[in-house]
Amino acid sequence: MSEFVGFISVVLTIIFYYSSKALYGRIRFVLFSPLLIAPAALVIGLLTLHISYSSYIIGGKWLSVLLQPAIVAFALPLYKHYELLKKYFPEIILSVLVGTLSAFLSSALLGLGANFEPQIILSLAPRSVTTPIAIDVSNNLGGIPSLTAVFVIFTGLMGLVIGPLVIRFLHLRSPIAKGVLLGTGAHGCGTSAALSLGSLEGTIASLAMIFAGLATIILAPVIFPLLLKL
Amino acid sequence: MKKALQITRMFKPRRIFLALIQIGILYIFSFVGSFLGKLLHLNFPGSLIGMGILFILLRLEIFPYNWVVIGGNWLLAELLLFFIPSVVAIMQYIQFLHQDGLDLFIIILISTVAVMVSSGLTAEMITRKGGKAL
Repeated sequence: MSEFVGFISVVLTIIFYYSSKALYGRIRFVLFSPLLIAPAALVIGLLTLHISYSSYIIGGKWLSVLLQPAIVAFALPLYKHYELLKKYFPEIILSVLVGTLSAFLSSALLGLGANFEPQIILSLAPRSVTTPIAIDVSNNLGGIPSLTAVFVIFTGLMGLVIGPLVIRFLHLRSPIAKGVLLGTGAHGCGTSAALSLGSLEGTIASLAMIFAGLATIILAPVIFPLLLKL
Repeated sequence: MKKALQITRMFKPRRIFLALIQIGILYIFSFVGSFLGKLLHLNFPGSLIGMGILFILLRLEIFPYNWVVIGGNWLLAELLLFFIPSVVAIMQYIQFLHQDGLDLFIIILISTVAVMVSSGLTAEMITRKGGKAL
């Protein structure tokens, strides 16, 4: 029975995804993003039919598993645009470092300001990077990994919506800056938004996402304990 | 008409079969990556190590680009699909989010804007100064 629910979950997720993608293709409005509409429809459906998340994820995990080969596949744009990446390497690294540090600083200060427990703040810390890294870092820092996963998704959704607005507001013209902003600010979700701006923006974003992940793995355990003592 | 042709080309059984095999190959890379990560005690997700290995093999021309390009590009084009189950997970935290959701929403909003503005402006400033702006 639960296998059947799992199977239906996968099929429905795919159907909702492709129909919301088609809708988004017609109405290019951020709130129609497939990452908002499809999950909203699924959550409403599951809650109405009293199906638990654990039954949904029996099937859903087969889609999450594909995130692994998808991250490996980022080697393809890196390979294809290698010359460009070599040329802009210092720009990307420096901006990603600045972005990563402001992620730490703003999470710590705002979290402390709102009187959240350290465990919640530590779960917020790695939220701008890609899920597998964020979960790992959260675990190492002493956060709550499943909550971090939710924050990562929150960040991705928000990045999809506000990323293009911030680009317009700052009058950014360089594709490097646009890519770095989306990849550092909103991991894979930002990268997919950057890919829709152009393949150069997408590649820079995927590179920024990777470097932001590495910077977070290396810097979070050093910097975060200090920030929390403020 | 042109679009219809594109769609039929996309759904050619041979192409789907190739894509599936290539996704399998990419999955093997992430599997090898996590194995190596455990072996060498690296604190890194296996998929990123796998990406590094694939990139190096592509650069050294040991592994042909054509062997993974169909499956790889499909995965990258449908990236959001693989995040949907993790978004659905939010339903488990409705209680907690009901209580503290607004604070968290504001924190994440301000922090995300801070990350975007600081990283985007840094990159824009350097590319302008360096005269390399495109």
